Amino acid sequence: MKTSILGIYEDEDVLMHAIDKLQASNIKVADVYSPFPLHGIWSRLKLNTKLPYATFIYGAVGAVVIFIMLYWMSVVSYPLKFGGKPLNTLSFIIIMFVGTIFIGTLFTFLTYLFREKMYPGKQVVLPDPRSVEDKFVIVIANADEMNEQESKHVMKMLKETGATEIKESTVNLHV
Amino acid sequence: MDKKVQLSGKFKMIMYIMIALGVISVIAGFYTENETRAWANLLLNNYYFLSVAMGALFWMALQAVTQSGWSAAYLRIPQAMSNYLIVSFVLFAFMFFGLHDLYHWSHADAVAADPLLQHKEPYLNIPFFALRYILFFGLWIFLTFRIKKLSLNEDKLGGLTFFNKIEFNSKVFIFVFAFSFSLFSIDWLMSLDAHWYSTIYVVKKFIMAFFHGVTVIAAIAIILRKMGYLPMLSKEHIANFSRYIFALSIIWAYMWLSQYLLIWYANIPEETIYYVPREMGEYKTMFYTELLVNWAFPFLFLMWNRVAKNENLVLFAVLVLAVGQWVELYMSIMPSLDLKNAISFVEVGTFIGFAGLFGLVTGLSLSKMPLIAKNHPYLIESLAEEH
Repeated sequence: MKTSILGIYEDEDVLMHAIDKLQASNIKVADVYSPFPLHGIWSRLKLNTKLPYATFIYGAVGAVVIFIMLYWMSVVSYPLKFGGKPLNTLSFIIIMFVGTIFIGTLFTFLTYLFREKMYPGKQVVLPDPRSVEDKFVIVIANADEMNEQESKHVMKMLKETGATEIKESTVNLHV
Repeated sequence: MDKKVQLSGKFKMIMYIMIALGVISVIAGFYTENETRAWANLLLNNYYFLSVAMGALFWMALQAVTQSGWSAAYLRIPQAMSNYLIVSFVLFAFMFFGLHDLYHWSHADAVAADPLLQHKEPYLNIPFFALRYILFFGLWIFLTFRIKKLSLNEDKLGGLTFFNKIEFNSKVFIFVFAFSFSLFSIDWLMSLDAHWYSTIYVVKKFIMAFFHGVTVIAAIAIILRKMGYLPMLSKEHIANFSRYIFALSIIWAYMWLSQYLLIWYANIPEETIYYVPREMGEYKTMFYTELLVNWAFPFLFLMWNRVAKNENLVLFAVLVLAVGQWVELYMSIMPSLDLKNAISFVEVGTFIGFAGLFGLVTGLSLSKMPLIAKNHPYLIESLAEEH
């Protein structure tokens, strides 16, 4: 069973400075749980994602697919001339635009769910349920691999950086 | 903080050479081409740099009204551009000699024979046209110089009074800008086709001004950083400028499509005729170039986060977009006057000349005041790495 050390903070700014201090003393912050998105957490935890690339590909494929559909409908299958205007026109853009957004968003959403192993009705895994209310939680992973001295050091650092509560957790957080 | 930009002799020399090239091209234009084309070319470049300066000043006013923090260190760049308005006022005054070559409605006999032009005559007549021109330039120069003066006084005295006064004046400027710049675009560009009108035309021109005003501010900021003047221009700041360019390119394309699509579907011959020479005739390549350069290129290029934060690549995007704005104005002006789609050294040379003049005026006025508004209340926020 994996254990992790949790530091619970009351304030956003205290948490931000705590992450800096922990990282400065070579303690790896595995994850942060907060009630709302934190500005600057992305660069601090050096998080990375390839999701935007997937979105771009879906969007590009969507635009092409919708264009082929419109072209087939209004040029190949059922050409209708209006006011002498050409059949293959820029008026396709609106539907291509909307279709691109739709296909891009839908498939990004599905990719995200698939990648995060989420599905409707899944039980939420939280280190501390109060992190959806008013508490901020820092997760230090792999506490069972640490020796006595190391885990003492981690706890001391958490205390020093302003954690109001420190505890060990055995919840499997995928970190 | 009180550092001023030092213009090197080399910079001035290059600008003077560019201006000389422009003067030669303009004169050559009047000898080698027909007069209408030479005047149209002058109108294009005059409007081009006026809209860059006005768009940049609108950006400045917007920063004051929204109380934006990140941009506080770069407000002097648009403020310096307000000096170009005076130059532009003088240059537009020369355009009155070409009024009869450019505007169909300025001929009394043409108006007498045309009921539609008679209907528009109370608005589109030369005395009122001139009056509007003086009034608009007067308002723009008065308001922007006032904001600049308040900002310079803030440098000396500090405090929040100037900040609040600048915000109030910026609000006034935005109202005046929205109204007068729209009418100005109708006067000088849309009335080239006195029979045709589009209600979204001026919105598109306003967005164009804003769009390219921001690109020029970004370019000047990056160039100044390369010269060692704005060390605070961080990747975040460059990303913010890129976001402006990216978002405005989409808004621009939206306005472009709004005009095109409504005319397309309305199917009214009087309106559709505007697009016939543009989309079907010899201007076809330019028609698609306009869209590709102004929308597709910034959209696909600045989409990548790494590109949007890289100053050299953003500078490259700005250079491409400078061509894009030229193409847009070329498409607005030349087909309306039944001119051939032929770009020669005259067009290129005139543009270089105007660019040199704009660069010289902006550079000189930047060198006359401190580069950073040191008592701006949001300067600390702007200098911080994260905002």
